[in-house]
Amino acid sequence: MPPSAGRRATGSADTEASLIARAQAGDVSAFERLSSGYADRLFMLLLRLLGDRGEAEDVAQEVMLRAWQGIARFRGQSSYFTWLYRIAVNEANRVLAKRARRPASVSIGARELQLPAAAVHDPSRQAESSELRRSLAEALARLPPELRTAIVLRDVEGLSTQEAAEIAGTGQAAFKSRLHQARLRVRAAIGDETLTDIGG
Amino acid sequence: MGMPGSTDDHRWSQQHLSHYVEGDLRPRARRRLDRHARNCAECGRGIRAMRALVYAVQGLDGLAGVRAPATIFDRVRLAGSGGSPSSQHT
Repeated sequence: MPPSAGRRATGSADTEASLIARAQAGDVSAFERLSSGYADRLFMLLLRLLGDRGEAEDVAQEVMLRAWQGIARFRGQSSYFTWLYRIAVNEANRVLAKRARRPASVSIGARELQLPAAAVHDPSRQAESSELRRSLAEALARLPPELRTAIVLRDVEGLSTQEAAEIAGTGQAAFKSRLHQARLRVRAAIGDETLTDIGG
Repeated sequence: MGMPGSTDDHRWSQQHLSHYVEGDLRPRARRRLDRHARNCAECGRGIRAMRALVYAVQGLDGLAGVRAPATIFDRVRLAGSGGSPSSQHT
């Protein structure tokens, strides 16, 4: 997804600014209009980070509630999108931390991270492609939350390093280090031979 | 990203493959890795693998078309009926 996709709920910064002002004054419908433009993408992010649809639905509601409760304090120092995404990452990490303290009875749900079958006509290539996606999804699901957040924001979501670091709540150097660690772990899980095969 | 003083080009290159494919290395550091990778099969393969990995992960955008649940604003609506957001607890 291109970094600029879905940045503005309404296609106009002025309109977004006016929706923010109305939401800050207590207008729920303005808040919904403002945030609904990001809702699908935010939900996809939560699915990728949490790997569980039911949990992602619950956290998505919580993110919107926290955004509504905090909108009066939003000062526009970052874009609304960045601010909302940061709330989402924080909430997802809170849930993942809670999950880590529970007995290992909850599956990571790598299925949610997978692609639908690609339009590959050669059956053997399609199987390889499908297998790779499954392996990638599983490798991502096994990453510690901060590393998974880094690779999802930068590589899957296609955000710039600056924006992804801001959303992750860290400096750019630390973010790059996490991204590097995440890529190394996924690379090790998949194997260079498999990766270079698909790279051609 | 600066270039450390270490003479261990191989170890240094392995540690900077991600920065290399990210385009984050300064020209001198990039040349150092390029020069080493030309004569090191492992690092050459590492660059190709890292590039392929980034490409493959970018292709994981397979949730396109997934929609947020219709209930996503339910808690906001419930809370919103109680007044302005600034008057509520966070």
